[in-house]
Amino acid sequence: MKARLFHLWCLSCTTGLVVCLTFFIGFIINRGVPALSLSLFFGDADPIKGLLGLEPIWDGIWPACVGTMTVVACALSLALLPGLATGIWLATSAASRFKTILALCIDILAGIPSILMGLFGFTLILFLRNWLLPSANTCLLLSALCLAMLIIPYLAVATRTALQALPASLEITALSLGMTRWQTLRVVLLPQASKGIIGGIMLAMGRAAEDTAVIMLTGAVANAGLPGGVFSRYEALPFTIFYYSAQYQSNSELQMAFGAALTLLCLTAAIFSIAGLLQRTPPWRS
Amino acid sequence: MRLKSGFMRLLVCGLCFIPAITQASDLDSFKGLSGTINIAGGTAHIPVMKQAAKAVMKDNSEIRITIAGGGSGVGAQQVAKGLVEIGNTGRPLKPSEAKHGLVSFPFAIDGVAVIINPANPIHALTQQQVADIYAGKITNWQSLGGDDRSINIFTRDEASGTRAVFVKKLLRNSPMVNHANVVPSNGAMKTAIARDPGALGYSSVGYIDNTVKAPALDNVQPTNDACASGEYPIVRKLYMNTKGEPQELVREFIDFIYSPQGAEYIRASGYIPVSNQ
Amino acid sequence: MTSPITTERVLLALVSIVFALMMLLFGFLFWFALPVFFNTETPVLSLIWQPEQGQYGILSMIAGSGLIGLMALTLAFPVAVGITGFCLFSRYQNIASWIRRMIRLMAGIPTVVYGLAAVFLLVPLLRETFRSCSGFCLLAAAVMVVLLILPVMVMMLDTHCRPLENQIRLASASMGFTDTQTVLYLVLPNSTKAMATAALLGFSRAIGDTILPLMLAGNAPQLTDSVFDSVRTLTAHIGLVLATENGSAAYNSLFAAGLLLLAMSVTVTLLIRKMEHAQFNARRGDAE
Repeated sequence: MKARLFHLWCLSCTTGLVVCLTFFIGFIINRGVPALSLSLFFGDADPIKGLLGLEPIWDGIWPACVGTMTVVACALSLALLPGLATGIWLATSAASRFKTILALCIDILAGIPSILMGLFGFTLILFLRNWLLPSANTCLLLSALCLAMLIIPYLAVATRTALQALPASLEITALSLGMTRWQTLRVVLLPQASKGIIGGIMLAMGRAAEDTAVIMLTGAVANAGLPGGVFSRYEALPFTIFYYSAQYQSNSELQMAFGAALTLLCLTAAIFSIAGLLQRTPPWRS
Repeated sequence: MRLKSGFMRLLVCGLCFIPAITQASDLDSFKGLSGTINIAGGTAHIPVMKQAAKAVMKDNSEIRITIAGGGSGVGAQQVAKGLVEIGNTGRPLKPSEAKHGLVSFPFAIDGVAVIINPANPIHALTQQQVADIYAGKITNWQSLGGDDRSINIFTRDEASGTRAVFVKKLLRNSPMVNHANVVPSNGAMKTAIARDPGALGYSSVGYIDNTVKAPALDNVQPTNDACASGEYPIVRKLYMNTKGEPQELVREFIDFIYSPQGAEYIRASGYIPVSNQ
Repeated sequence: MTSPITTERVLLALVSIVFALMMLLFGFLFWFALPVFFNTETPVLSLIWQPEQGQYGILSMIAGSGLIGLMALTLAFPVAVGITGFCLFSRYQNIASWIRRMIRLMAGIPTVVYGLAAVFLLVPLLRETFRSCSGFCLLAAAVMVVLLILPVMVMMLDTHCRPLENQIRLASASMGFTDTQTVLYLVLPNSTKAMATAALLGFSRAIGDTILPLMLAGNAPQLTDSVFDSVRTLTAHIGLVLATENGSAAYNSLFAAGLLLLAMSVTVTLLIRKMEHAQFNARRGDAE
């Protein structure tokens, strides 16, 4: 009897979830697809000129798309080496006090709410203005730095998991053949673990692309045109959606918000599916 | 066929230059200038700033103008700290803000009006009724002669100049309950009211269009003319503020807002232009 | 000839950058927030938030965060267990793999998109159904946060329960258990630690989210006991007040809010770690 009720509960939960999800995502797709057009991206500017940056684009989400991609690329370039290095170090170094502390730090960093990174970024700018660099301002670089701090745990954990999944014999054999630590990593371990690591990189990219709280406080604005360098303010897709959904002046602006939501959804769905494909169990795990 | 469509495209591009030529007179002063202007602050100013920035940036590709909102408090704060070049406020500067050496440029007259949903049958309210609603004494539209719905109150965040003017001049500093929904800008207030038939809020008069309705306050309809003539009492000036006297590019932009072209943008956004003092 | 640049040193250098950044983050928050707590003239742990009158109490925001977290957790936990159970039944294996894929994709949906859909679908629904509510309330935010934390909890439970179910499926079938009974009586009771970890993960994700409470919970700084009232969470408070910054005292309250958030998330992380270590040791004890 209890088992039957449980069975019913499981079935209803799953169907309920599927229904809810189709409802919400279907709504976005329903309202977003009619908005998809060249004018969604480029407004009333000429597409070719807008793409080349010859003409400023107003009422179009192309600057936001470029802004998001730029900030994600910058964040990834800042976070890649430290994140991978932390993962490699955690997976391959001997146990020590520092190692436990670092592992704890990575776990804590993974759990911190993203808005605290934004708060940190903003106070960093104020601190710099008062003491070191009076012309510092909220900008793309600051957002990239805060996003990098947000995604380092993802990179570290993915690298560590991928390396720990490798059979220990690989490293031992390589070292016993006389390879140095760096050669072992470069030639043997990292290529074998590359699938998992790239999956982790894609996860980090997806996370950086969708986060709103951090960029809201550190340099994303509602209107800025194409990003004019790393030391200027910029537009970003999640912030554009947030801004226009709360305050649309006309129906066309609302349509823009839905179009932007659909674009962001497709972007993150693509990134996460590739990540999922890459992170499936490696072939030697039976 | 290809030649024909190419010619059409060229013709259309050529047509685009015609309005630019008529605007050239006010935008001439931007020739040869380059740089960035960061603008932040009051959300009421955004429509005007956006149109002006669009015109300037279309004419001169070396100039970059970014516009952010945040409210009058943010505008004053950020321009005092030097984070932006122009800080917009919808109220006069407080002494604590002015002591940083800020210079104010009032460029438009605007009103603050109570707004309700167009589906709401109420047409007029008195100042006392509004104060009572915000104090929590009246909670149902029925007591005012409307439908049997609870009144959903919306207010602005604490940095807002619109809120400061509303509390000071309309509520006359009577207390506000703390269960009102908080929205961060004029635009957000408008969309929230437009979506909820039982909502009540306040916004800049320039933002009022056919998606919301502004009831008459003490028998005065809040329109642009009523604000200009002084008949509608809840008015305020919109200010641009800079730290110290503005430099060349910023000076040109401020002069552009005061020019006839800028006055057109101000009128199109629903405000009344004020001439340069 | 050993060059001074060895792999070990390069790795350590990069690792210390990460460590230094984290210390910087903690340091900033502590530096700016501690004086606020010890300031007795404008107490920050009070219930009234009225910056015009000089009151900067954020206690109602803490209550808002806690309420959303707890409510989302209470709603999401049974549903997560239900979905995990469904995926474990052997008779639904092919559908289960699709459900798992869907859950993984769900984890990637941006929170802004959830917020956008909810503002146009959920808020009017709540407003018309419950006449006393403006639609922007605790319930709206909590329901969407449930959708947000479900993937995290389901994936956590699934990672733990699937190997277990694989192990005992044949043995329990040979003893006459149906797959439902296997899951209900054998797998789930042995997964209490995983369930606790999943609950903690869900809770920490729920209180850490900014966009959904900012868009859906109404942001009124009040303490309330009704789910149909507007509340403000600590995260939304930081987002609202920082983006609409006012003055030094209100600004300092942000750091107090940030420090409290940090404390909450660190506590939860430590609890999760402790639970995982205990589970790991228990597993190792079983294997020996």
